[in-house]
Amino acid sequence: MAENINSNQTLYIALAKGRVAQKALEVLEQLGFEFPDYSKDSRKLVFTDKSNRVSIFLVKSPDVPVYVEKGTADLGIVGRDILLEHPADVYELLNLDFGQCQMCIAGYPDLEIKFNKKLTVASKYVNIAKNYFDSIDQPAEYIYLGGSVELAPVLGLSDCIVDIVETGSTLKENGLIVKKPILDISSRLIANKVSLKTKNEVILPIINRFEEVTKDENN
Amino acid sequence: MLANYTIDGFENIKYQGFGQLKYIEERLANLFEKYGYCQVEIPTFENYEFYSSDEAINRNDLFKFISNSGKVLALKPDATLPITRIAAINHHDPEEVVKFSYQTNIYKDFSSPDSSKKETTQSGIEYFGNSDPSCDGEIITLALASLELFGIKNIHIDLGHVGFINALLDELYLNKNERDHLFNLIENKNIGDIKEFLETKENISEEYKKIILKLPRLYGKPEDVFKEMETLAVTPKMRTVLERLQSVYNYLCSVGAKDYIHLDIGFTNRMSYYTGIIFKAYLDGVGESILSGGRYDSLSAKFGIDRPACGFSLDLLLLLEYLNNHNLFPDNSDPKIIILYPEEEREKAFSLCSDYRNNGRSAEMFVLNHSPEIVTNRLLKNPHYKNSEFYLLKDNNLTLWQKT
Repeated sequence: MAENINSNQTLYIALAKGRVAQKALEVLEQLGFEFPDYSKDSRKLVFTDKSNRVSIFLVKSPDVPVYVEKGTADLGIVGRDILLEHPADVYELLNLDFGQCQMCIAGYPDLEIKFNKKLTVASKYVNIAKNYFDSIDQPAEYIYLGGSVELAPVLGLSDCIVDIVETGSTLKENGLIVKKPILDISSRLIANKVSLKTKNEVILPIINRFEEVTKDENN
Repeated sequence: MLANYTIDGFENIKYQGFGQLKYIEERLANLFEKYGYCQVEIPTFENYEFYSSDEAINRNDLFKFISNSGKVLALKPDATLPITRIAAINHHDPEEVVKFSYQTNIYKDFSSPDSSKKETTQSGIEYFGNSDPSCDGEIITLALASLELFGIKNIHIDLGHVGFINALLDELYLNKNERDHLFNLIENKNIGDIKEFLETKENISEEYKKIILKLPRLYGKPEDVFKEMETLAVTPKMRTVLERLQSVYNYLCSVGAKDYIHLDIGFTNRMSYYTGIIFKAYLDGVGESILSGGRYDSLSAKFGIDRPACGFSLDLLLLLEYLNNHNLFPDNSDPKIIILYPEEEREKAFSLCSDYRNNGRSAEMFVLNHSPEIVTNRLLKNPHYKNSEFYLLKDNNLTLWQKT
């Protein structure tokens, strides 16, 4: 058995900078992997644990599935919004409950969605928006925006927006309200399809630990 | 000025790559021949309807053409379907055993971005007319042999069966959308979303829900997975699948392939015509499977001959890359002979070159219209001449000028 397995058994994990990375590191530390050179403000992008068994690297969140699909990273943690917007050929092993938020349709309070009238939708998540409006047979036109999506209805570029809402304060300050939540978004633990098999012995304890942590927090 | 004339998604293979590909092709063809497979050539085009009819593949991923007579054709996205058609046309007795091997280019992922690979070279085998587990075993053994042939060590084979999950899903009274959705979730090992999906389904019994949640974790060492499957196989169909997998595994143990085999009950192959066991082979550090195959017993019936079949295909370009990265190509190429000659001695140069060629060497001649330095340097700009011996011809004498 042993000779069939990769001799290079370091496990590579791709994480999005910020809260998700922080949380993932806590879980890894509980498993005995220590990252002495990690600190929140460090500009380093790659950290290896003391025992050289796990290496994490920090990337922009839309890039996490890319690294995992290509096998450069064995595991990754990424929001469901990104997986839905850019589907990747990976295993979605677990729903981690951190980073909970909602994908919503938002607009002015007097906005009415009429089925006989074409709607103009601005979003960073054009695919998610299209999938949703197609599923209710709502004719719509989509405008992709890279950020500050709230501006679109304010300036008359679109009738409504589809975006992630955490607290809703940005919407409020621009006079918009949530019209309808369409999806719950949480973080996902994803795995490369090959690594899950070839590095199963290293990966399995990590999956199990994440599962326990998620369960504990739900109770 | 250099303009960009590259066609995205299609590779140019040249110099050593071409020789290496030929080396791979020849050794594989030779191996398959020794196992009794007879090589066939497949047309580039296939009838579009064969692929589009029962969603064997996503239609948007096909390269489509319309023939003079209005027929829709597609660049073939796989070799199995055309070979099944060829076997059906030429061998009419369903009892007949037919063993074909092939090497061909396939075209895929038309709807993916330009940069993704659209054309690749495949080699493989198809075995018709034998439904016994020992046939599955032979196919997997040969798949393994075709990788070991090149000195590859770290091979990992995932063995599965399309029937186990399907037999369970048959019991669940789901509509097609729900069924496809659940199947996808199981395939992606997405336990969280499976839970959410099952919570909305009140007509599925708790017992079945528990089994479904265990399906994504049915992978790993065969002995362990078989034990787990024993407890989950609640229908006769599921038991049949389990027994089938066990007898294929026993075959593989008896031919010494035990250590390479891992089970995974929750995966599918790109093409949807598989009906029995399926398998994929992975290599170290390669993010996608290099070889895949399985049993497709009902495909041939589409062409009028009801005949069981099993086979696999191997991605040669991926193999080429892997062998290069791991220095697994033998280094036995003789240096090229380059003869630089003054114009008045052309006759002698030609006869010397002919002698070399007749002895199986590669020999080229260049006239010295400049100094030997200039002529040599111009040639060395091309990597083709990296491993060469340059000779100068003067007064009927050949002297070594430079060796690279």
